[in-house]
Amino acid sequence: MTRSSWIWSIVRKIPADPDQCAPLIAEILDALEMHRWSANDKFSIRMALEEAIMNAIKHGNDSDPDKLVGVNLGFNDDTFEATISDRGCGFDPEDVPDPTADENIGKTCGRGVMLMKNFVDSIEYNECGNEVKLTKNKSISPG
Amino acid sequence: MEKLECLEIDNVAQVAVVKFTDPKVMDPSRIEQMGAELLALLDNEANEDVVVNFENVSFFSSAAINKLIVLEKHVRARGGEICLSNLRPEVRDLFSYTHLDELFQIRVDQQAAIESLAK
Repeated sequence: MTRSSWIWSIVRKIPADPDQCAPLIAEILDALEMHRWSANDKFSIRMALEEAIMNAIKHGNDSDPDKLVGVNLGFNDDTFEATISDRGCGFDPEDVPDPTADENIGKTCGRGVMLMKNFVDSIEYNECGNEVKLTKNKSISPG
Repeated sequence: MEKLECLEIDNVAQVAVVKFTDPKVMDPSRIEQMGAELLALLDNEANEDVVVNFENVSFFSSAAINKLIVLEKHVRARGGEICLSNLRPEVRDLFSYTHLDELFQIRVDQQAAIESLAK
């Protein structure tokens, strides 16, 4: 999907501060609501987007408000796409332990990456892992 | 009944029943406060068994899940049990995807949850 096809988009750089996340997510959800994305799709997008942004804030940028998180997202009638980037060294998502493994279920880490994957149609990291692109296709309403 | 910033805590049939009351409780900036209040309920020794009622919860992030896991560990360490209730379908699905329905007891409603903890 090219940006020129987006009917709504934002490009922001936000400080790596958890307080920045909720207002941004609310703005995006309002836009999705106005363009008649379903409740299920909004839930999925919120889940994946919040995980991506908070990972960038906490892990990528060490919750340092002097470091910025890049948020570049938009959607058209069919597809939502978001690219979130941070200033960190990146990581290899393949190195994240499976949070559903018996030995990991009680741990308080590792679920965010899995949840992102679960709630979008595609997820791509750049080579070093400090940028993630999420794509969610609009659900087809039952006829 | 005790009303905190994020939670409301009641005692029903010797079970501590927790409800989320702050509409913004799942905002990332509020999660730490929510987690602190969940743990603080264990300061009351009478709160051995805990039901967490999700009737006001339409969203639950991994950060919030982590706070619940910490609560579960503390409850279990004290010999108590924890049960979740009133989960909306999308939140219930979350516990399935993450296999956390293997860690937490989950019941349809508060009464069933309280009864499951009856000793």
